[in-house]
Amino acid sequence: MIANILDGIVLGLQFGLLAAGLTLIYGLGGVLNLGYGQIAVTSAMIVALSMDAGVPVVPAVGLGLLAGGLFGLLLDLTILRPVYRLRGEARVLLSLLLTLGVSFIIDGYLNWRYPLKALNLYIGGGAIDILGVPMRRGSLVASAITLVTITGLFIFFRSTSLGRAIRSVIEDESGARLIGIDPKQMLRLILVLSGVLAALVAVTRSMIAPVDTTSGLSITVFALIVTVVGGLGNVVGALLAGIILGIVNVVAADLIGSYISLILLLAAAAVTILIRPAGLLGVKE
Amino acid sequence: MSGRFTGSTGTSLIGGTEAHSSRSLPALLVPIIVVGAVLALVPFWLGDSRVLMGVAVLGLAFVCYVIGFNVIFGGTGQLFLCVGALAGVGGFGATILADNVGLPIVASILIATLAATLMGGLLSYVAVQRSLGVIFTGIVTLIFSLSFDALLLGLSNLTGGDTGRLIKSGTDTFLRERIPPYYLMLGLALAFLLTHGLLRRSHIGWAFRALRDDEVAAELAGVDVARYRVYGALIGAAMLGLAGSTYALTEGRISPTTFGFGHVDVVVMVMLAFGGIGTLFGPIVGAITFTIVDEVLIDFGQLRQVAYGILVIVLFLWMPRGLIPTLDSVWRRVRGLVGARH
Repeated sequence: MIANILDGIVLGLQFGLLAAGLTLIYGLGGVLNLGYGQIAVTSAMIVALSMDAGVPVVPAVGLGLLAGGLFGLLLDLTILRPVYRLRGEARVLLSLLLTLGVSFIIDGYLNWRYPLKALNLYIGGGAIDILGVPMRRGSLVASAITLVTITGLFIFFRSTSLGRAIRSVIEDESGARLIGIDPKQMLRLILVLSGVLAALVAVTRSMIAPVDTTSGLSITVFALIVTVVGGLGNVVGALLAGIILGIVNVVAADLIGSYISLILLLAAAAVTILIRPAGLLGVKE
Repeated sequence: MSGRFTGSTGTSLIGGTEAHSSRSLPALLVPIIVVGAVLALVPFWLGDSRVLMGVAVLGLAFVCYVIGFNVIFGGTGQLFLCVGALAGVGGFGATILADNVGLPIVASILIATLAATLMGGLLSYVAVQRSLGVIFTGIVTLIFSLSFDALLLGLSNLTGGDTGRLIKSGTDTFLRERIPPYYLMLGLALAFLLTHGLLRRSHIGWAFRALRDDEVAAELAGVDVARYRVYGALIGAAMLGLAGSTYALTEGRISPTTFGFGHVDVVVMVMLAFGGIGTLFGPIVGAITFTIVDEVLIDFGQLRQVAYGILVIVLFLWMPRGLIPTLDSVWRRVRGLVGARH
């Protein structure tokens, strides 16, 4: 049981970080990025291709993160421009359709050019005991990286003036504008950050299971579900939801079997949304 | 507030729209007949090719799906991301009832359609009860889609798992001939078009417009918003279930991808957004356009998806409201200019 919960936490931390990137863009800009999983996959492919070309692992991962950030910046500078001109529901819908178009382009290109390519950062060595449970090194390294990133995010949002500026835009856009914060710049920054987060999740995920060119849609869908369960725009909620859903998934998989476990995970998400439509930590508008 | 609108005040409103609809019934019927007549000619053109007729039948199935989705989303603003799953309840339900239970084909289709209808109604009822917004309704229905998909893969002795299964029922009937399935699906598509057209003219359509424009104002004016949302979902889901089950039986084989989220929902959304959300003829324009585009690009293999993506982006940047509303406003502007000159 403890082993399951630990595995669930490993998975859940990644779910949470994945959702954090998506939820920030939604909270800040009212934009739903359905190309989110494709950013992760593109970055994973760049890491894999760099390593094929002889680049050592760490710089290759650096390139992947850079690519994720650039991808986010590119979205902000190109197809999201007309989206920003709209408001409310129309904005969500147009952002959703345009980023869906982007996801088609990326998926189509990667499946055509690199059909069998997958990123697999296998970390060798024996298992390490945690609370008397042997854990794979890959899982531990992935979780450590994820935890450090999450801590970094918290420090950024709580203690730096830039992080506070971003939070002020999420809370009250016109108020933030009044005290001299440019919401557009903050949004651009968050798109870059979410791109980097997507890339990071792809990299840590590949330490546990291979990330291939067809993973995009499922990454987006999971990020979306965790985001909503945690409450749109709520980073802490996203992390909490990620961990809870991760544990539900692993425990159910062990007790019942894999396809029912997916259904249970989904049911848990649905029930949470129905009980608390604003999300776990959300405040009802 | 519930029930008041359908009670005594309701009858006068229905009367009002009846007078209106009898006047404009030809205006509704003529375009539908024209569309039907044009589409009825397709087999004379493509009828020699089994492959192309298959594409045409699938195109018509998509017309049906898009109309069903349009009634739910365009009519009542509920983002149902389970179009494929509801059609799949119809498709797999009818297959299992006909092949494994041994019911007659028509009964299987009707029972499976009823199941899809009730499922759609239930999803809507839950969403309405919890007053979920657009995005949340979208997520809950997306979760239903994914669960349905997991269930299909899990129950592989009934569904054939990943590879799908052949359908024995209907093998020696007209359902598996080259041309008749086309006319069957065309009849279904036209019936849906007519149903939606009549619906728009009825008191239900009146309530739909009111709640789409301003939910609070509609509620204050005595429209039972919750009830009409569920009505919309029931009607749309019935269309999806019926189209899914009929398509499955003409196709002769189904797999989870036949009704998969990526294969149906995403495509249906693009088709409807292209044609024009909430319009009567948008679904047919969108579904036919993208069926043709898909066929034209078939030689590009995997790159077809790239072209599809570029097309989606260009189209929505150019006319975010969809083709029919854009053409409509261009037409009004031209007419306005001409009118101003005279």
